[in-house]
Amino acid sequence: MSAYPAALDDIVAFFDLLPEDDKRENLIAYADQSGLCAPKPGETFDLEDVRKDEECTDKVGVFLTVNPETRGVHVRVSLGPHVQTLTKAMTAILCKGLEGASPESIMEVPQDFVPKIVGGQLIRLRSQTVYYILTRIKSTAKVWLNRERAAAS
Amino acid sequence: MNPKFAAYAHPDVLVDGDWLQAHLADPSIRIVESNEDVLLYDTGHLPGAVHIDWRGDLQDNTERDYVSPAGFAEVCSRNGISPETTVVFYGDKSNWWASYALWAFRLFGHTRVKLLDGGSAKWKADGRPFTREKPAFERTSYPVPALRHDADIRAFFEDTLVHSKSRKPLIDVRSAGEYRGEITHMPEYPQEGVLRGGHVPGARSVPWKMAANDDGTFKSFDELKKIYTENLGLQPSDDIIAYCRIGERSSHTWFVLTYLLGYDKVRNYDGSWTEWGNRVRAPIAKGEQPG
Repeated sequence: MSAYPAALDDIVAFFDLLPEDDKRENLIAYADQSGLCAPKPGETFDLEDVRKDEECTDKVGVFLTVNPETRGVHVRVSLGPHVQTLTKAMTAILCKGLEGASPESIMEVPQDFVPKIVGGQLIRLRSQTVYYILTRIKSTAKVWLNRERAAAS
Repeated sequence: MNPKFAAYAHPDVLVDGDWLQAHLADPSIRIVESNEDVLLYDTGHLPGAVHIDWRGDLQDNTERDYVSPAGFAEVCSRNGISPETTVVFYGDKSNWWASYALWAFRLFGHTRVKLLDGGSAKWKADGRPFTREKPAFERTSYPVPALRHDADIRAFFEDTLVHSKSRKPLIDVRSAGEYRGEITHMPEYPQEGVLRGGHVPGARSVPWKMAANDDGTFKSFDELKKIYTENLGLQPSDDIIAYCRIGERSSHTWFVLTYLLGYDKVRNYDGSWTEWGNRVRAPIAKGEQPG
């Protein structure tokens, strides 16, 4: 059984088979889509977390809602203009890959999918923000879970 | 020529957007983009620009060093660069990596180099064209350089230690917090720490950013002269070493000192603080004073 939610598993499997040049091309395609990951006007969320952390070159906002019937997460991410392209790509991948997953399964997602998607040529010290978006989404999911537990007790 | 450039020691090495836009199709030049954002080129670049990855193309990928002369010749050949080609560099982060790539080209003896003032940010701010179309240039046979000019423009740990002990001009271009030893990483890059903070004893703090305007262009000659020559008491014959963490910010300062202010002997200590701050028994000074 995969450690990743089904949608993310599909994306990882797709990228894992690609040669480096094709990975790059598809990452650019995802990066181009990252603007669509931002909240839509009028959209409301259970949790909103917008901040500038030291690990990232610009402000990033994570917006999360959990469907009370399916327990599926809907996450949106807003990115400042100076965020690296790889980070934009990962944002689009995660927004798609984690859609509908439970908060618990999001907390369990290991980071090891990143090299499978990004490939060996692009992983370097100055592109570590590629891990940052997952960390932020997990952090927001954790807050949601903590609030749920607090409300239940 | 941009009137600002006329006062610089080597005004022909800097180009502005007007000049470059008028020379986009000039067969005697090759425009090279070099960035920190490893995918930025693919999202849009200057028409006719090729991508040279400072990490993948210009560095040895096993040992911490630059590529061999044969490796450099291959990078140039596949990008259609010959020894007669004038290479115009630009990139993100106020041209950090463009300066680094330009310095690396100089390391292999390619002297026909220029830098786009303000880099890609200024080009974009001025509303100039970008494209995703990747150019295809006919392969050249760039001759393998006989040597790498390490002695001329590159400093190593031992050189920097001698400089420190003899109190020759050493410029630390990192942030003030890094210089003082309060932080062991560059602001916004916490994953790049070292074991010890501080600076090389005797080094003076002149953060690289002091040389740039907010739009990424270089300050005027008079402003730069005040920052470096007057503030540091530099003499024309001085032997100067600049350093940062891994040599990219100090490449920017190397460019300023060499081409804009005209110092003849300027070396980039590319080992920089990631080497010095991790090295057993390397002397370290902390605080505001050079030490």
